[in-house]
Amino acid sequence: MASSSRRAVITGLGVLTPIGQTLDAFWHSLTHGTSGVRTVGSFDSSGLPVHFGGEILGFDAKKYIEKDQRKSLKVMARTIQLAVAAAQLALDDSKIDKGKIDPTRFGVEFGAGLIATELEELGAASQVSTNCKPGTVDLEKWGEHGLPCMPPLWMLKYLPNMLACHVSILHNAQGPNNTVTESEVASLLALGEAYRIIARDQADFFLVGGADSRLNPLSLVRQCLFQPVSRRNEAPEKACRPFDRDRDGIVIGEGAGVLALEEYEHAKRRGARIYAELVGFGSAFDRNRDGAGLARAVRAALADAGVNPEQVDHVNANGFSTIKSDVWEARGLKDVFGRCLPDVPVIALKSYFGNLGAGSGTTELAGSLLATTHGQLPPTLNYETPDPACPIHVHADGLRPLQKPYFVKVGFTDVGQVAAVVCRRMEQ
Amino acid sequence: MRRRVVITGMGCITPLGHSVEALYRALLEGRSGVDEITLFNARRFPTKFAAQVKDFDIGKWVADPEPWSNSGANTRFALAAARQALADADLLDNQQVDRTRIGTYLGSGEGIQDFHHLVSLVAQSYQKEKRTVHAPTFERGGLQHFHPGREFEQELHTTPAHLADVYDLQGPNYNCLTACAASSQALGEAAALIRHGDADMMLSGGSHSMIHPLGLSGFNLLTALSTCNEAPQKASRPFDKNRDGFVLGEGAGMLVLEELEHARRRKAPIYAELTGYGSTADAFRVTDSHPDGRGAIACIRNAVKDSGLAPEAIGYVNAHGTSTQVNDRVESLSIKKVFGEASMTVAVSSSKSMLGHLIAAAGAVELIISVMTIRQGVLPPTINYEYPDPECDLDYVPNEAREKRVHNVLSNSFGFGGQNISLVVSRFDN
Repeated sequence: MASSSRRAVITGLGVLTPIGQTLDAFWHSLTHGTSGVRTVGSFDSSGLPVHFGGEILGFDAKKYIEKDQRKSLKVMARTIQLAVAAAQLALDDSKIDKGKIDPTRFGVEFGAGLIATELEELGAASQVSTNCKPGTVDLEKWGEHGLPCMPPLWMLKYLPNMLACHVSILHNAQGPNNTVTESEVASLLALGEAYRIIARDQADFFLVGGADSRLNPLSLVRQCLFQPVSRRNEAPEKACRPFDRDRDGIVIGEGAGVLALEEYEHAKRRGARIYAELVGFGSAFDRNRDGAGLARAVRAALADAGVNPEQVDHVNANGFSTIKSDVWEARGLKDVFGRCLPDVPVIALKSYFGNLGAGSGTTELAGSLLATTHGQLPPTLNYETPDPACPIHVHADGLRPLQKPYFVKVGFTDVGQVAAVVCRRMEQ
Repeated sequence: MRRRVVITGMGCITPLGHSVEALYRALLEGRSGVDEITLFNARRFPTKFAAQVKDFDIGKWVADPEPWSNSGANTRFALAAARQALADADLLDNQQVDRTRIGTYLGSGEGIQDFHHLVSLVAQSYQKEKRTVHAPTFERGGLQHFHPGREFEQELHTTPAHLADVYDLQGPNYNCLTACAASSQALGEAAALIRHGDADMMLSGGSHSMIHPLGLSGFNLLTALSTCNEAPQKASRPFDKNRDGFVLGEGAGMLVLEELEHARRRKAPIYAELTGYGSTADAFRVTDSHPDGRGAIACIRNAVKDSGLAPEAIGYVNAHGTSTQVNDRVESLSIKKVFGEASMTVAVSSSKSMLGHLIAAAGAVELIISVMTIRQGVLPPTINYEYPDPECDLDYVPNEAREKRVHNVLSNSFGFGGQNISLVVSRFDN
């Protein structure tokens, strides 16, 4: 294995979530059992079988962007605006003097997913292109009369790489720039990659994270068609219940989580506040969706960190809250941590705000990073009845004092892509 | 010392052939893969032509085509190109190697939207006077008409998952989508995973098709495409003074990257070594590249430096060469800046003159071409090069292939939004 003397630490955090748009609000919700899952308010979802989600209320991108740059908001879909805003928050939180970062050593990595077009932007073009047959469009009318009705920069507003591109432009980040598009595991893979890039001396400072907003008619229709989405309309805040026996599917949320990841000496020289050190990363494909690949990714991350399972304070799980994937996640975790005494507690923060898509990994990770600074682990919401098929110790009861120096964050997709990250608390 | 990464397998599906050999033969003959669009009725679009993949039959590449009926061209092309690359590297069904040590890193594009249902549903639910969509009408229609499998197959993580499932690749699994730089970036980062020890072998490359109504619409709206409808095969003319935009292509390119000692131990064929990787961002504008080539210059420089070579050691540059005014000018000046005097003698050509622009898949196919130049000692030309542009004054291997023995090749890919990737491949002598 290659080894590097260059270490990477997390020196800034920015989150925009259904349970808070500041770190304080986010932490307050996590420690007071406040759910961000509620009936969707931004559009009429009455045509769908699901009427709730983890929605961010009152987000105004203008607040996060300098006046002279605001016109670029017009070419940013909501997902991109969330990313740009959370990146600004992370940068502010890191208290770095932007002028002192070498722009060529300043990288950006984001996890992103498909971004749905705003239907209104197709409105006029679609109406001049109809023919009498339902389900078909007159392509000649579309090409000739429809196209001129569309905004010229239409496509740019929805490209997944635009999260990282806009962030790089706004902050003059000329270093490596990548966009990982692996659904819910995307932002953890992006984080792992940024960590390796710093270790191999190709950057000193990274804004890395993920964002996703699927609370719009087109995305929600699509999710309802191909994902097991919870139908608990009568009690939305109870709907996301990872590892609980009565879980019935995912809850779609929206949000962004961005970290400032910095080379350790670089951070130390400027006297930066350090949340934690990123010490290990591993990834794998769980081909049989039975937890074996997940266990392999976690073991690889622990080995990368040189850490035993016994040294791990808690696992910050993926916890989709679906019937199937929670079972194989639990199986994989039990395989790695099953022999630890006492049990390693597991938390699943989707229970507070739902599945943030490509924003999931780093936003959930922020929960554990705040836990390390406060010395207390927040509980999992809605874990009421253990499921014998998920034989892990889910922490669901009050605040638990942190006891050990390391924690593990796991993320995956339900088709089997897995990533695991190991962080270490810094004694300052 | 860092682990060395070599290329032990290659495969492709392109507008000029469904194998590396067929592709390379066509390129050396200077053939164009561009023609009128037949995948849908594009007669009233500003651009009516593209470089389509011809006569592709998924049944030739998978045992049962049925499960792929909902997949987009991205996944189908990827399955075929991956099979070629893995077979080439003797990794198909090979249980002698540890399957958990083979990963996947693609720069693959999205599946294809259900344009007709989407647009007709919007037409039904759009309230013109209010300029809003009546959401419940759209939602009910969508639930009824969109096909669940087809919708799922558009998701960006599905292609690498399918390859990992079908070909039993249980190592790290990634997809990146950085526009036109995606598959080059995937290859660079896949090599980094091998160097770090996360995997011993990586299937890496890209697959994409944007030759569909919304793809063509998006690029036409940006006025990025050539509109040379009277002579489609002349439309892609990189570095020529009369270039007027790029030509859409589609396809897939896949490579097997492998740690050198691992490849040696199992006596895999070694086609070349991946020696250099550079990655930068313009951080300038979402619509234009930096006019002075700030990001491109740093990127090329980083890749050459990473390879441990001097610029003079690069014998051939497989250019990004899109045939847009800005790219070709900026790329030329960037090469000059990095290569200095050597830029007057280095051969540069753009395969996009024949293949069109495969978007996310472009870089991987072009890296395969770069490897082939080292192996065959013949450089593919830039076709349609007729009118010199004073701002593009390098040796573009105009119109005819050229015999030249090269040891090191640079391949550039610059993405919309400012991501720049350069790779260096080098001759490997056992």
